[in-house]
Amino acid sequence: MNKRTYADYSLDAVIYLVLILMALSTLLPFANVLAKAVSAEWAVLSGKVGLFPIGFQLDTMKFVATSPQFIRSFLISVGVTIVGTLLSLLITAVTAYPLSKRKLPGISVILILFVFTMMFSGGIIPNYLLVRKLGLLNTLGSLILPALISVFNMLVIKSYYESLPESLEESAKMDGAKDWTILFRIILPLSGPVLATIGLFYAVSYWNDFFSPMLYINSPSLKPLQLYLRDIVMDANSVTAGLDRSADDLMNVSSEGVQAATVIASTIPILLVYPFLQKYFIKGVLIGSVKG
Amino acid sequence: MLVPGMIFLILFKYTPMYGILIAFQEFNIFDGISGSPWVGLEQFQKLMVSDEFGRVFRNTLLISFYKIVILFPIPILLALFLNEVAKMWFKRLVQTIVYLPHFLSWVIIAGLFVNILSPSGGLINEMIVALGGKPISFLIDNNYFRSVLVLTAGWKEVGWNAIIFIAAIAGIEQDQYEAAALDGAGRIKQMIHITLPGIAPTIVLMFLLRIGHLLEAGTEQVLTLYNPVVYETGDVIGTYVYRVGLGKLDYSFSTAVGLFNSVVGFLLIVSGNWLSKKLLNRSIW
Repeated sequence: MNKRTYADYSLDAVIYLVLILMALSTLLPFANVLAKAVSAEWAVLSGKVGLFPIGFQLDTMKFVATSPQFIRSFLISVGVTIVGTLLSLLITAVTAYPLSKRKLPGISVILILFVFTMMFSGGIIPNYLLVRKLGLLNTLGSLILPALISVFNMLVIKSYYESLPESLEESAKMDGAKDWTILFRIILPLSGPVLATIGLFYAVSYWNDFFSPMLYINSPSLKPLQLYLRDIVMDANSVTAGLDRSADDLMNVSSEGVQAATVIASTIPILLVYPFLQKYFIKGVLIGSVKG
Repeated sequence: MLVPGMIFLILFKYTPMYGILIAFQEFNIFDGISGSPWVGLEQFQKLMVSDEFGRVFRNTLLISFYKIVILFPIPILLALFLNEVAKMWFKRLVQTIVYLPHFLSWVIIAGLFVNILSPSGGLINEMIVALGGKPISFLIDNNYFRSVLVLTAGWKEVGWNAIIFIAAIAGIEQDQYEAAALDGAGRIKQMIHITLPGIAPTIVLMFLLRIGHLLEAGTEQVLTLYNPVVYETGDVIGTYVYRVGLGKLDYSFSTAVGLFNSVVGFLLIVSGNWLSKKLLNRSIW
């Protein structure tokens, strides 16, 4: 329709250049750490590894993947994420249902009580003392129970319920269905996309959580992956020291390389779910944040 | 149906609010809240005269301020630029890449940047050396630590924060552009006179939201990146509460700091919402 002018071409050039630079700067840190994880010990130690591996080897990755503490922490994180996500999703979806019925008496007061906690909280110490008093310190329950419902996520599910046509429920009620039946047989099966989004949000937050284990978990045998990773990031030397590995195992492995390999290994699960996540999250964010 | 949700709400949200009382006590963990002596506002007086708290409060405001000034405009620019891209595959590719860091934990990001910023062979320092400079120990230098916080926060969230502006741009009516094109407005003029005003309400709303979280200078981020050498410039309210409360076991003082934080934060959010109702006729909740 319109002829492209010289100005159009230069504008495009600037835009593409800026966007390419942004994308590259997002990718560079990954490339650097990945290169370190698979480079030879001497190359890593002499600081020569940039974006490409030097003296390619997989011993470091193998060392990390077979480290007993890494495996244990990894499994703990997988367990907490699966159990936590399922429980959170169930309770959040069930709680959101009555709250979506504005006509029920007293429901708006309860809703305000929930929303208030998004803006005001007891703070770190009272939360810590509560978890301690409940006897949850050094249990995996301390990583799940205090985070069971995210009010933000609940509001997203609630507004999705509200967008479903009311006539669906009315006709089910005429057929004699009870509230629980309506929720589980009619509403939830229609809520697939929003439940998938919120489920993935919960999964990511359980997987990434390092603050609650830092507060509540002391025992090394219960350390989730993020906490283990933090020890390694903060003190690279702690990695290779103290592990009962034979000298043979440590031959081609530098502590900096192990640090890099652990970062990569902890990122892989997120990279695996990311394509599925991406399909849904934009919608989820939009329902949640732009409500007129 | 509300029972499990209510139990959760009361136990894990409102019981800790009751626990705030220990800010007004000389709390002793063995005597509990009912047995510990009351000291009134003593903890708050201590807080007001503490040099350390002054420093922490200043750090929190400064870090948050830098993050707003430097990082708030970039997602808007990113959204504007993405909107101008005609090739769908390129747009998708860039979006996929820049959203990704949002889903990584701060520990992983700290791991990435500890490597990149390392004075011995980190990518950035290699570049500095190649350009004839001297390597900089970014993470243990008070001159650079705040810049590192802003840089890493930007790296993590800039892409994600653009989503909302991209959606707002998508909501602008197309005939406005056609009319402008007929009047001879070029693409840059259209960007300035149609797209920007079109998303202005969203910009204001997001800005007010951001101000509401002024005191959250990134507790998790700082915890993963800092060390005692940079407490001077990096210690923020959240990390200070953690350090004093669980490190030195000074529960009462630390809760007083936390309460100060919660109250000021609450007031900021409520006034932000009031302003947005007034200015935009839109409220955040």
